[in-house]
Amino acid sequence: MANPIIPDKSVVTTCAYCGVGCGFKAETHQGRLVRMTPWKEGKANHGHSCIKGRFAFDYYISDDRVTTPLIRASIDDPWTLVSWEKAIQHAASELRRVQAKYGTKSVGAISSSRCTNEEIFLVQKFARAVLGNNNIDNCARICHSPTQFGLSATVGWGAASQHFDSILQADVIMIVGANPTEGHPVFGSLMKRRVRQGAKLIVIDPRRTETVESAHIKADVHLSLRPGTNVAVLDSIAHVIVREKLYNEAFVRARCEWDEFERWTEFVSSDRYAPEVIGPTAGLDPELIRKAARLYASGPNSAIYYGLGVTEHSQGSTGVMCLGNLSLACGMLGREGVGVNPLRGQGNVQGGSCLGSWPHVFSGYRFVTDDEVRGSFEKDWGVTLDAEPGLRLPNMFDAALAGNFRGMFIMGEDPVQSDPNQNHIIEAMRQMECVVIQDLFLNETSKYAHVFLPGSSSLEKDGTFTSAERRVNRVRKVVEPLAGYQDWEIVVMLMNAMGYLATYDHAGQILDEIARLSPAYKGISFELLERIGSAQWPCDEAAPEGTEVLHREKFPRANGRGTFMLTEYVPTAERTNDTFPLLLTTGRILTQYNVGTQTRRTQNNRWHSEDVLEISAHDAHIRGIRDGERVKVSSRFGCTELKAKFSERVGSGIVYTTFHHAETRINVVTSDLSDWATNCPEYKVTAVEVVKVASEQTAKRAAKKKREHVVTA
Amino acid sequence: MLWSELRDLKDDVDFGTPPRAGAEVTLTVDGHTISVPAGSSVMLAAAKAQRNIPKLCATDTLEAWGSCRLCLVEIEGRSGYPASCTTIVAEGMAVTTQSEQLQRLRKGVLELYLSDFPAEDVDGGWSEFHTALAQGGVTTHPYEPVETHLSTPVDVSNPYFLFDPAKCIVCNRCVRACEEIQGTFALTVQGRGFDSKVAAGQDQPFFESDCVSCGACVQTCPTQALIEKSLFEGDYIRG
Repeated sequence: MANPIIPDKSVVTTCAYCGVGCGFKAETHQGRLVRMTPWKEGKANHGHSCIKGRFAFDYYISDDRVTTPLIRASIDDPWTLVSWEKAIQHAASELRRVQAKYGTKSVGAISSSRCTNEEIFLVQKFARAVLGNNNIDNCARICHSPTQFGLSATVGWGAASQHFDSILQADVIMIVGANPTEGHPVFGSLMKRRVRQGAKLIVIDPRRTETVESAHIKADVHLSLRPGTNVAVLDSIAHVIVREKLYNEAFVRARCEWDEFERWTEFVSSDRYAPEVIGPTAGLDPELIRKAARLYASGPNSAIYYGLGVTEHSQGSTGVMCLGNLSLACGMLGREGVGVNPLRGQGNVQGGSCLGSWPHVFSGYRFVTDDEVRGSFEKDWGVTLDAEPGLRLPNMFDAALAGNFRGMFIMGEDPVQSDPNQNHIIEAMRQMECVVIQDLFLNETSKYAHVFLPGSSSLEKDGTFTSAERRVNRVRKVVEPLAGYQDWEIVVMLMNAMGYLATYDHAGQILDEIARLSPAYKGISFELLERIGSAQWPCDEAAPEGTEVLHREKFPRANGRGTFMLTEYVPTAERTNDTFPLLLTTGRILTQYNVGTQTRRTQNNRWHSEDVLEISAHDAHIRGIRDGERVKVSSRFGCTELKAKFSERVGSGIVYTTFHHAETRINVVTSDLSDWATNCPEYKVTAVEVVKVASEQTAKRAAKKKREHVVTA
Repeated sequence: MLWSELRDLKDDVDFGTPPRAGAEVTLTVDGHTISVPAGSSVMLAAAKAQRNIPKLCATDTLEAWGSCRLCLVEIEGRSGYPASCTTIVAEGMAVTTQSEQLQRLRKGVLELYLSDFPAEDVDGGWSEFHTALAQGGVTTHPYEPVETHLSTPVDVSNPYFLFDPAKCIVCNRCVRACEEIQGTFALTVQGRGFDSKVAAGQDQPFFESDCVSCGACVQTCPTQALIEKSLFEGDYIRG
């Protein structure tokens, strides 16, 4: 029979993939998920979807899903299947043993942007109230920590100033270091709609992405800059705006710190930021920089959307500040159609950021060193909390190698695969005496773990996600947890086993605690979300149903004014030379998601079964590499092998790959440099050399040919 | 303005054409007075007045197209039977959505569609087309088909959804969704008249075309010609 199954139940929930936060109706038949259809009332997607959210959900019933807790004495032993009770007791006693032996601060916790707000909040509570230290970090460290830092410094809050729909009122759209049609497809479609209606498009990206040119879309200006020169180019754009007096003086006088503005104009108008100077540095035609500057300043509504191409640099925070500066100077904040908006990679990076999963701040970015703030948490939680900021994720690994960090609780993260300089991390992980992992699958990191607690997918639990537009969306349980417990319940069990009494009847009570202790979430509750669907923070008495556009009247800074940061361009220490003449930059593709934990377990693999190295035909030719051949990519840090693919998307001198497959091990190659302010790794710039794998002989011939080519060129 | 088109959508209602923002225009639909923003279609006004008009090629996430001829209405002072999806409301307009003549016209349209639809899949189907058949009281057709699309092969190349051309009524919704909503422009209708058919890319299998599998076409298809494979136990067998 060709008649399709009629779903018998439909639950409205939120997509677990990227930061767009699409609403979906999860339809089940006899308790089994049979399809996901986009929810027309989803505020971010309005009934639209992408391949990941709509179709790639089978990972949750993948054969290799772990559904029984596992323990082992050493990482060289095989895993033993145990009961939940035994696993929790073992994890608890081992973490306490490590603390007794090496000190309270010898353990820490990592949460993930894959988890719900409630789980993220609970894990940081676990670190602070149960482990008794502030060693808590999350994966936003390696993607959007510079957003938090850079935007806070200029406009006051490290979050998107707009809602996604705001783009429908933009006249000029500037996309910096982002590729929305691949990374944030539903937003990408919205952006393309607006461009087809006539909005102008500026794209700043080393690659000629689909955002630059696709059906009925062509960027008015594409600045295909050399990786690592963001700050120089953005300063040069500012230079043109200031020199040509294209800034919005009335806005700056009314809303910003004028003295700081004057200091900034003096700084950027320096000749060293003239397009004629920066152009050659960045590999750009100076006129294009001028054109971009004039277009952005002319508006009337210009909106900036940016991604990891801005943040994952040694000057990531500076790059974000540049964007804050530009939008303030041109008065592109505080209304619909304008703004500065980070496009966040994971479903809940914004939640991970704002709910205190950081070693130095509680939820709402309030410092652990602040006695009053800490006091309010101590009162609510009934324990004394540590006033000293804890270790950041990379510092935890460093401390492990230094000998004073020996235990970790990792929820929904795979740092061994996703973090930079893999060999260093593996060495650090080997030093640990107790690593507790809570995840759906065994992964690269669990190779170094002692306890594995089988977690629940977002289809199996209740909670909320906060999307990239600050929207708190409800996650609803669609099917029963395969391993028996929702993730937050597992953390509660662990807290209780370690002697801290935590009692929650349902996830909504954790959200109530978040609301009680976090000003921006004050008005948010399951009841509110049930009633109005979703709400963007800040949500409080003044905005009982949330806030779509930030900064309408003032900026959330002490004096209510926006300010300007001096953003000196400092070239990254990672540079090309004769040995490593190419720049490797990394990114993502539509059909795969992040390190691929979910999508690689679905049919999405049919589209992208392996990561390939995009290389220009020119660079390939002088190395004797043919399209589709396996090549070795090596950097100062390590090497890996993958298949070369000729591409017109990258210019000469640049190679590009994705990081979706563990086998690629591309993070063995990426550098250990990181953002000066936040330690966000510099994934986007690594000097490499690419040689054909075939034979050393061939490689030598190719090198000779290259030398000859350089001589004659 | 696109703004209200997206933000005023409701999950449990299909207004038939996108909501609009504008000054209120008042009209009557089957005697019920209703005010809707200028620029709205008669179909949307009728939906707001709870006088739903049958439709197949119209949905409120896409601009009106006017090809299925099921949404015909009578408008006082106008000749003929205009399609309510492509007719814009006007002040004082008096619309009739139900009459014997309209019933007859709609039945004729549905019978024609039914004559080129797999007969075995009429019972038990649950698409918008099946609903329209039920509402129109159409279970059979008087035609002796000479030529049909019933033996056109099914495209199962995409891992997630299939396309069964035998169930396609060429209403263009998938093509428009690919353009207007997704912005990929991977689909088209090629050929004329009886030969017109939905084609992906350069008339390729979906998987090999520039389709990005966003699902917008599957979501909007009114006949389940484009449908999720996950809704079938085992392989898809037509009929």
